[in-house]
Amino acid sequence: MNRVRAIALNTFREAIRDRVLHSILFFAAILLFLSLAMQEITIGDADQVVRGVALGGISLIASLIAIFLGVGLVYKEIDRKTIYTLAARPIPRWMLLCGKYLGLWLTLLVELLFLTAMYVLIVGSQQGFPEPAIFLSIAMLMLEMTLLTAWCTLFSSFTTPTTATAFSLCIYVIGHFADDLYLFGKETEDPGVQALLLGLYRVLPNLSIFNIRAEAIHNIPIPASEIGYAAAYGLCYSAAVLAFAVVLFERRDFK
Amino acid sequence: MSTAIRTEKLGKIYRTGFFLRPYEGLADLDLEVPEGTAFGFVGPNGAGKTTTIKILMGLQSATSGRAWIHGQPVPAPASRRRVGFLPERPYFYDHLTAYEFMDFYASLSDLPSAGRDARIRALLARVELDRFARVPLNQFSKGMLQRAGLAQVLIADPDLLVLDEPMSGLDPMGRVLVRDIIIDERRRGKTVFFSSHILSDIESICDRVAMIVAGRLRGQGTIPELLGQTVNEVECVFQQGGQRIPQVVPPDGVDALIRRMQAEGAAVISVHPRQKTLEQVLMSEVERAKPVQAARLGVLA
Repeated sequence: MNRVRAIALNTFREAIRDRVLHSILFFAAILLFLSLAMQEITIGDADQVVRGVALGGISLIASLIAIFLGVGLVYKEIDRKTIYTLAARPIPRWMLLCGKYLGLWLTLLVELLFLTAMYVLIVGSQQGFPEPAIFLSIAMLMLEMTLLTAWCTLFSSFTTPTTATAFSLCIYVIGHFADDLYLFGKETEDPGVQALLLGLYRVLPNLSIFNIRAEAIHNIPIPASEIGYAAAYGLCYSAAVLAFAVVLFERRDFK
Repeated sequence: MSTAIRTEKLGKIYRTGFFLRPYEGLADLDLEVPEGTAFGFVGPNGAGKTTTIKILMGLQSATSGRAWIHGQPVPAPASRRRVGFLPERPYFYDHLTAYEFMDFYASLSDLPSAGRDARIRALLARVELDRFARVPLNQFSKGMLQRAGLAQVLIADPDLLVLDEPMSGLDPMGRVLVRDIIIDERRRGKTVFFSSHILSDIESICDRVAMIVAGRLRGQGTIPELLGQTVNEVECVFQQGGQRIPQVVPPDGVDALIRRMQAEGAAVISVHPRQKTLEQVLMSEVERAKPVQAARLGVLA
């Protein structure tokens, strides 16, 4: 496990020294500050709108970073030929890929902790210390990122960053409309279309189950069973996607 | 003597272009590298040297045949347990400093923490990079990167060093440094397997050589074995009237030449038999392999 940790820490170190990441986080901090301005231009419960904009911003930035870093995770190693000295070590390839994935996951965790701290500082300065539900919604976002980065890792293991970005964005968008896919599949009368849509619903990820921001903003209690189901779903699905990525990565020639 | 590397009918066919045309990178390679030798793998560019090394290092899969390193089948990770590898034109993580870079590879080799710092510092000193331990690799020159790469090869004190063109692009001092390291490691009983198309390096360092041309092995053995024991030509130097006269003749023409020159009043200064050079042997193999080279593309068509 030392070797997985070494690869993960190297991936983490590479990511946090990337200036693009610093720029995105700076932009995120500005976005959180701007969310306070919503209070001035909102009719109704302005506090809820501020919380909604801030949490939405955190979700958007986290997803952007996950895709930005995830799609180049393996490809960059191959393109820059750093993979040669890495894969030539007595390390099984699954270990190499898992190390890279864990490094990315750690980067996203630290980035989300940073954004959470910014939320507490900025939004908390106006509305007081956030309710636990806010932290729970960010934890669920981390689960969503766990799944999204597994897909990015899969795409990165066999294609270029441009194609992987397009695929990852598709997964992100479809994943957030998975419930609609299911409803449409149920409603349609064409059995072929129905089979296709329900099939896609079963195979593609349902990212909307991790979105409890509305409940958190309005402080509506969420049953523990829902959280437990989402956690189990996210972890099992991520493991399955990673296993598929490993299968592809094992067969890959480094030219 | 046990073998460090053994291959049996190793072959690789690449698929290139839109129509995935076959290209034979390597064919029926039977290689045997004894332990404790400095083994040179020579051939022109595109001969299949890097392909062979990549297959041995588990970076590419062989299309046919089998290979073993220290008796372990390739590409199992266990086969690379006692191996240090330097790729051609190495690229490394440029966000790391030289020290962090070495520490990373030490972690990958499961090197214990105790003594790791001393080992890293000693190796950086050995490749003359100790003054640059805290400098990020993105500020290193090509030669410095090559030396850092060599230090990373040695981090776990491997029994087999696999070096792909270790001297390409190095200045004379860098080449001497690499050569000294290879000789040192060989003296310590390690096996050094390295590819090169710079034949003077091979002749000065290696115990054994394998020659590959157009993806096929053209011979392996000690350098005298490869060159053949027969004398190719003889250089005779005479002196007449204060002037030196060099003459080169086939071995069976020496007696007649000496008799003729002595009859003309010349004195014999030296008679020096000339053997074929590695370069001549390689060039003749390249010439012989031209039909094979033409057939490599579309080998399966």
